[in-house]
Amino acid sequence: MRTMKRPYQLSALALFLLSGLVAYESHQLKYYTPLGPGPGFFPFWLSLCLAALAVAMFYQATFRKTAYRPADFVDSRIGYLRAIAMCVAWIWATLMLERLGYRLTMLVFFPFLLLTLGRVKCYWVVLITLLGAMVAYYLFSIVLSVPLPTGPFDGIFETIDEFVY
Amino acid sequence: MEAFQSLLDGFAICLQLQYLFFAILGCLLGTLIGVLPGVGPAAGTAMLLPLTFGMSPIASIIMLSAIYYGSMYGGTITSVLVNVPGEAASAITCLDGYAMAKKGRAGAALAIAAIGSFIGGNVATLGLVLLALPLTAVALKFGPPEFFCLMLIGLSLATTLASQSVVRALVSAVLGLLVAMIGIDPVMGVPRFTFGEKELLDGIGIVPIAMGLFGIGELLLTAEGSKSSVIHTKLREMWPSWQEFRTSIWPIFRGTGIGFFLGLIPGVGVLVPTFISYAVEKKVSKTPEKFGTGMIEGVAAPETANNAYCNAAMIPLFTLGVPGSAVIAILMSAFMMNGLIPGPFLFKEHPDIAWAVIASFYVGNLILLIMNLPMIPLWVSCLRVPTPILYTLILGFCVIGSYSVHNSVFDVGLTLFFGFVGYAFKKLDIPLAPLILTVILGPLMERALRQSLEMSRGDFTIFLTRPISAALLGLAVVLVITSLMKMTSKVKEDRVV
Repeated sequence: MRTMKRPYQLSALALFLLSGLVAYESHQLKYYTPLGPGPGFFPFWLSLCLAALAVAMFYQATFRKTAYRPADFVDSRIGYLRAIAMCVAWIWATLMLERLGYRLTMLVFFPFLLLTLGRVKCYWVVLITLLGAMVAYYLFSIVLSVPLPTGPFDGIFETIDEFVY
Repeated sequence: MEAFQSLLDGFAICLQLQYLFFAILGCLLGTLIGVLPGVGPAAGTAMLLPLTFGMSPIASIIMLSAIYYGSMYGGTITSVLVNVPGEAASAITCLDGYAMAKKGRAGAALAIAAIGSFIGGNVATLGLVLLALPLTAVALKFGPPEFFCLMLIGLSLATTLASQSVVRALVSAVLGLLVAMIGIDPVMGVPRFTFGEKELLDGIGIVPIAMGLFGIGELLLTAEGSKSSVIHTKLREMWPSWQEFRTSIWPIFRGTGIGFFLGLIPGVGVLVPTFISYAVEKKVSKTPEKFGTGMIEGVAAPETANNAYCNAAMIPLFTLGVPGSAVIAILMSAFMMNGLIPGPFLFKEHPDIAWAVIASFYVGNLILLIMNLPMIPLWVSCLRVPTPILYTLILGFCVIGSYSVHNSVFDVGLTLFFGFVGYAFKKLDIPLAPLILTVILGPLMERALRQSLEMSRGDFTIFLTRPISAALLGLAVVLVITSLMKMTSKVKEDRVV
């Protein structure tokens, strides 16, 4: 049975590299001022701590016996595809939220997720999309006073806006 | 006496119709969060933060607190009825709660859990009322050196007690401190680790971090993994028998004590009191072999300890400004978003808010007791929502939540980044709580350290020459030594494959 040795070794290596980057960045900042520690003081010591912990992690993983890998450490292909679909939808939202506005972005976001995460009946897709993209927009904007972004094509919702406002 | 007078004033505020409404709403949303697998209290509280932006500080904190303890009770429902803990703290309840459900005693298990939670929560809140003023009087004598040492204790406890592996917990804590360094340096105003991004000048907000680590990370894991089989049971009898009541009395008292005292220690985590109280009940029982087969003590004690812990964990936050867990850290950030700094000055500068929120804990516990039992069938029906719909709605809500804090898509991107971090941490068994705690405590700690050294003109002995700070530092050193000893023993344990 495989152990957690390799994942921990790789994590330790990544942490060590990160500590190097932090040490370099904090070196660019003032370490000490006449008044006391400067902005680089705390991060510098933290980078040293991180490096020491990375070494400890690597040592434990390499020279000590480590725990077995959990059965679900690597999951099924379909499971990964579901997780990837979530990431794709999220990246879409990040990129388009301010370009297209909340409503248009989410009119794509919701059906995409509903159709890729599993089998959902068509009327549910339509209902959830309208609920998430349209109702949530007005709920947040009007009831909760939390403005959500609008986009250049939001004119297509003018009739609904006039009705709601 | 002064405390009780202030508490009565607090009741006068929190019993106003609008605050009562927000307490009920918070309890409902919290229970829903607890019921839904994949959304823990931390993610849920962070996700629902935007709902409170348009509210007054009192309404906002009352609602978020209600979400917090509501989610704790919600987790119990799924543990008992479908053998799936809605949140980690209810995992132990599955053992006897689900066994009781299979025997047709689900109603009794849930009722005892609700009654135990009510008693545990109220006793712990009474502790908060009694300890609030004496502790804040001590804390008001604290200067930057004492606060630095106090934060040091908080950090040591958080990293040593909340984890299976000390090294991994420390990695999480150090990474959190580094994340907290991002932004403008609080003393000299110099940008640090911003890499030229103007969005990073203000630092990284707690919402993208909490939502990413606890929400998106958990969703990615749940979506990726195979689903657990959910067995539905019927609620036949709602109330426990007299015998079950009698059997539960002592476990409820013991659970209250365990939860309360462990809640006072920052960083213990809600799992510890529930497991300890279960273990204690098994130890004192005349029939320990029957635990796991539907013993009501196995439900009463951990559920009481769970709620007592949650309410007692508010004591370090309210009196010293030290958050003891991830959810409390998010609550602390909610205070800060409303321009309030939890700690001794809260009682001095905003006593109305502090006491109204404390009084609301009593009201919230009562609401949960009255409201939740009749609503159990409704909560169970929420579990029947198909997972694609559930995940889609949660993700959509997370997008809104992460965007609306600063109206920035940068935060939306950051949330996904922290989602990956959370996912990786869970795969590697690195605890998330130390990271979120240090993100909150990091800036406070750094500021206290630098102010202390400015006071002493760079002389580190300032921490030893002041009696309180010296005592606190001594305690921190003891904790560090203990953690090092624990680290050594963990290395030995790791040898066992």
